[in-house]
Amino acid sequence: MTDVLHGRPRDGVRTPKRTPVASRPRRRRRGLPRRNYPAGLGSLIWLGIVGLPLYVLVAATFQTRNGYIDHGPLALPDHPTLANYRRVLTSGFLHYLLNTALVTAVCAALVIVLSVTVGYSVVRTRSRTSRRIFQIFLLGLAIPSQAVIIPIYLVITKLHLYDTLLAVILPTAAFSLPVSVLILVGTMRDIDEEMYESMALDGASPTRVLLQLVVPLSRSGISTVGVMSALHAWNGFLFPLILTQSKSNRLLTLGLYDYVGEFRVDTPALLTAVVLSIVPIFLVYLFARRQLINGLMGVGGK
Amino acid sequence: MADAVPRHSKSVGRPSVAWALPGALFFVFFAVAPMILVVALAFTDWDGIGTPQWTGLSNWTRLWDDPDTHQAIRLSLVLTVLTWLVQTPLALLLGVWAAGHQRNRAVLSAIFFLPLLGSSVALALVWKSLLDPNFGLIADIGPALGFEDGDLLGSSTGAFGAVLFVTAWQFIPLHTLIYQGGARAVPRSLYDAAAIDGAGTVRQFFSITLPQLRNTIVTSSVIMVVGALTFFDTVLILTKGGPGTDTTIMPYLMYKNGFQAFDLGYASAVATILVVVATTVSLLLVRLTGFTAMRSTREGM
Amino acid sequence: MRIPRSRSSLRATGLAAAAALVVGGTLSGCGSSGPGGSGDGEISVWVYQDPSTKVQRQVVERFNKTSKIKVKLTQVPGDGYSDKLRTSMGTPNAPDVFFNWGGGSISEFVKKDMLLDLGPAMKKDPSLKKGFIPSILDAGGINGKHYGIPMRGMQPVILFYNKDVFEKAGAQPPKSWNDIIKLIGTFKGKGVTPFVVAGTDPWTELMWVEYLVDRYGGAGVFKKIQSEGKDAWGDPAVLKTARTIKDLVGRGAFGKNYKSVNYTADGASTYFAKGKAAMHLMGSWEYANQKTNQPAFAKSGLGWTTFPSVPGGTGDPKNVVGNPTNYWSISGKLKGKKQQAAIDFVKFAAKQDYAKALIANGDVPTTSDASSLLNGHENPTYAKFQYDMVRDAPDFTLSWDQALPAKYTPPLHTNVQKLFNGQLSPTAFVDAMKGM
Repeated sequence: MTDVLHGRPRDGVRTPKRTPVASRPRRRRRGLPRRNYPAGLGSLIWLGIVGLPLYVLVAATFQTRNGYIDHGPLALPDHPTLANYRRVLTSGFLHYLLNTALVTAVCAALVIVLSVTVGYSVVRTRSRTSRRIFQIFLLGLAIPSQAVIIPIYLVITKLHLYDTLLAVILPTAAFSLPVSVLILVGTMRDIDEEMYESMALDGASPTRVLLQLVVPLSRSGISTVGVMSALHAWNGFLFPLILTQSKSNRLLTLGLYDYVGEFRVDTPALLTAVVLSIVPIFLVYLFARRQLINGLMGVGGK
Repeated sequence: MADAVPRHSKSVGRPSVAWALPGALFFVFFAVAPMILVVALAFTDWDGIGTPQWTGLSNWTRLWDDPDTHQAIRLSLVLTVLTWLVQTPLALLLGVWAAGHQRNRAVLSAIFFLPLLGSSVALALVWKSLLDPNFGLIADIGPALGFEDGDLLGSSTGAFGAVLFVTAWQFIPLHTLIYQGGARAVPRSLYDAAAIDGAGTVRQFFSITLPQLRNTIVTSSVIMVVGALTFFDTVLILTKGGPGTDTTIMPYLMYKNGFQAFDLGYASAVATILVVVATTVSLLLVRLTGFTAMRSTREGM
Repeated sequence: MRIPRSRSSLRATGLAAAAALVVGGTLSGCGSSGPGGSGDGEISVWVYQDPSTKVQRQVVERFNKTSKIKVKLTQVPGDGYSDKLRTSMGTPNAPDVFFNWGGGSISEFVKKDMLLDLGPAMKKDPSLKKGFIPSILDAGGINGKHYGIPMRGMQPVILFYNKDVFEKAGAQPPKSWNDIIKLIGTFKGKGVTPFVVAGTDPWTELMWVEYLVDRYGGAGVFKKIQSEGKDAWGDPAVLKTARTIKDLVGRGAFGKNYKSVNYTADGASTYFAKGKAAMHLMGSWEYANQKTNQPAFAKSGLGWTTFPSVPGGTGDPKNVVGNPTNYWSISGKLKGKKQQAAIDFVKFAAKQDYAKALIANGDVPTTSDASSLLNGHENPTYAKFQYDMVRDAPDFTLSWDQALPAKYTPPLHTNVQKLFNGQLSPTAFVDAMKGM
């Protein structure tokens, strides 16, 4: 967000030639100081703080219920079992996952389409109205979405959308818009004026300019927006908690929360559900690590 | 600059305002209107079943005298400040450290990144299980850490500390990543020059890295602060606002009044306060860090 | 010059709108087919999900085999049930038939005329009324009208104890308050927590407060609070209760880490079953719960007794607190065939095989013929103990958090929790209750 907030040019947009690969050897040679023992020690302590809970989490999923109660969470499973995974997978988990994937995808798509069109109009239109519109979005930046759950509940109920996936999607997407518009306005402003002009000389319509010039050159911004709104939707909890009810419309976060009451004493099963809920994002992380990290780094600018 | 552009290109390739309409209308309907509505509802009595009844200022006079609200505002602010104080130095150090390209750092960074993959609900559930006084991790290692009976969540400071810690555990990776990106963008030449001058690691950090990361610090801080005001999921699962009301921060107080007591008018008043606090804090940050000045230079483009 | 511009912008807007419509259409489509709102040929039924829910699952299956209008069962897990129910009652997706606790849990729905008065149905089919113990049926109604059909076992709060732990300590179950005080010392000496209480779920702590207020001042104290409002919290019995709680906490009656023990994830029950605590004041469902999770303990290690009287108390020690039972209530919105189907469905709860299913689950049904069925219970002594306890009780006080309107539940819970945590002194507790 920095570069967006501060209007600094993003690399990769203005100077697409400078790829990370090209700059890498230089950095590696010089890197930050090579051996830094205090830092090394600090990072090992942090490794313990991060690693121990993760170990307990994963180990517990192979533990039986009584094994966990009797031997404590630190013990290695004495009779490793996959029963927890079976229990979770037969308790509606996949259905929740599918719902969440659908909500996430639709939210991200909706946010991308809307913020790209808004950003395009704000950047390329010279009217007062578009600046006003931009200001409205800026105002929305600081508003926590939780604060409006009560009126949202009222609106969703009146629209007869209570307990539908759409009830979650609409407000979630709306509250992803301000940051997204801001990011895209920043990205789009850095596209050279001459490029617009040359396309205009060809008599290109605004739609063509958008699709052939603006969108390709805003790819980094769009992917940041996509990653952020997707994560926002994926992790959302309060909206599903208040706005949905039935099992068939249950999302993963709410599903996990409800498993507490469903599994009760079966902590290993609950932790298994947690692990399984992380797996999809973990897969994304494995296979699209660069995009995910760059998307998140894009939040902070480079 | 606009005047220098040839006339025809101004209109031929330019989109009209209508392009912004779908997004703007959508945003107005699902975000702006509810914001206005929440303020309006704060002046009503509504139980969620009937229709809201106008009651004037009665919610507000009640709010003024409500010790729970005072406490919630205080807790929210303290939590926000402490979150910043805990997360920023750690994330900054880890981020700068992770910016190095050594192999061991890359491997460790990948592990440090892992908590970010879970949702706050998932992670809060993990910690809730770990902090169970009889069957959790804290029962095993609590005594070594000074929690004899594992009763961490039962003490006011313990529960508050747990919220602070769990959210830090979850969000430090994000901010580490932000700082890592920032640190990698610091020009090498600055360090080279400093090294020639004989500046050590520590001095390089304070005289080059920190000043260069100024913008990154602002961004990360804004995200942190607005985030800390809304740690609802973690509180609901980890402490339910307790013991007593000692971790009942603003969003949880709103939830409790709204969707447990179904006093939705009063809860709207609490929500309004939350909106005001959040807006004030972020405006203050923005003002303090000179973000408006920078934006206005880009404005008339 | 203007024409292409406006046309393209129109197209863009149109595209976005069309996309939104398509997306909206599919998603709301898949939502409306969900069980939250009921389709034409079905009625939606909500039930609290816990180990006992299987009885309701079975009855739904049986009902659906014979009925044209099908029941769609929604199970809501955990302690969020009342909140979720309330949230949906204001929407078009409100359930047609739902589980509740009677009393305050439905009073606001009744006030808004949202529930079906079951009087006419009872007149038409007397078995619906005669089938149940009258006092329990009445507890599901308001102002003399019936809104609920009992659908689970009776749920008095019972003082459970761990027989093995008592045996090892050579102790006898408490018969008086003096015994309680002595036992606290005994078990503390053995390194066992005398009473487990789940401090993160304040309704478990509330049970102590309810029983103590009843033993000190009788059932009238809470009745007065209900009828006369919050000033009635000033009754001396409430202050005495708060002082007693403080005394118990001070003696270490609840151990050291009770503040972070939970009930909804069976933290307290497991602790108790594993012999780390000697006693557990809990609703009668604890038996079914232990049977599911710790079957061996439920069979041979679980003992039970009544809550003793207190010195100087005027309450009848035979009084009981807890939930008389749970009820099915029917939405007033249902008309015609669907209403009939809903009535037919709740009638199943009056039938003998339903009562038998409850007994098989470890519950004691509230049907009038229950006593003859109790021998079929796998633990007939427990069943008879419970049945007699409820039958002989001069007063059965409904759990306060269910008896009072929803608005008071969160502050009630918070105050009780603060009292147990020592965050409120006894006098401050009384003031806080008056100020709710």
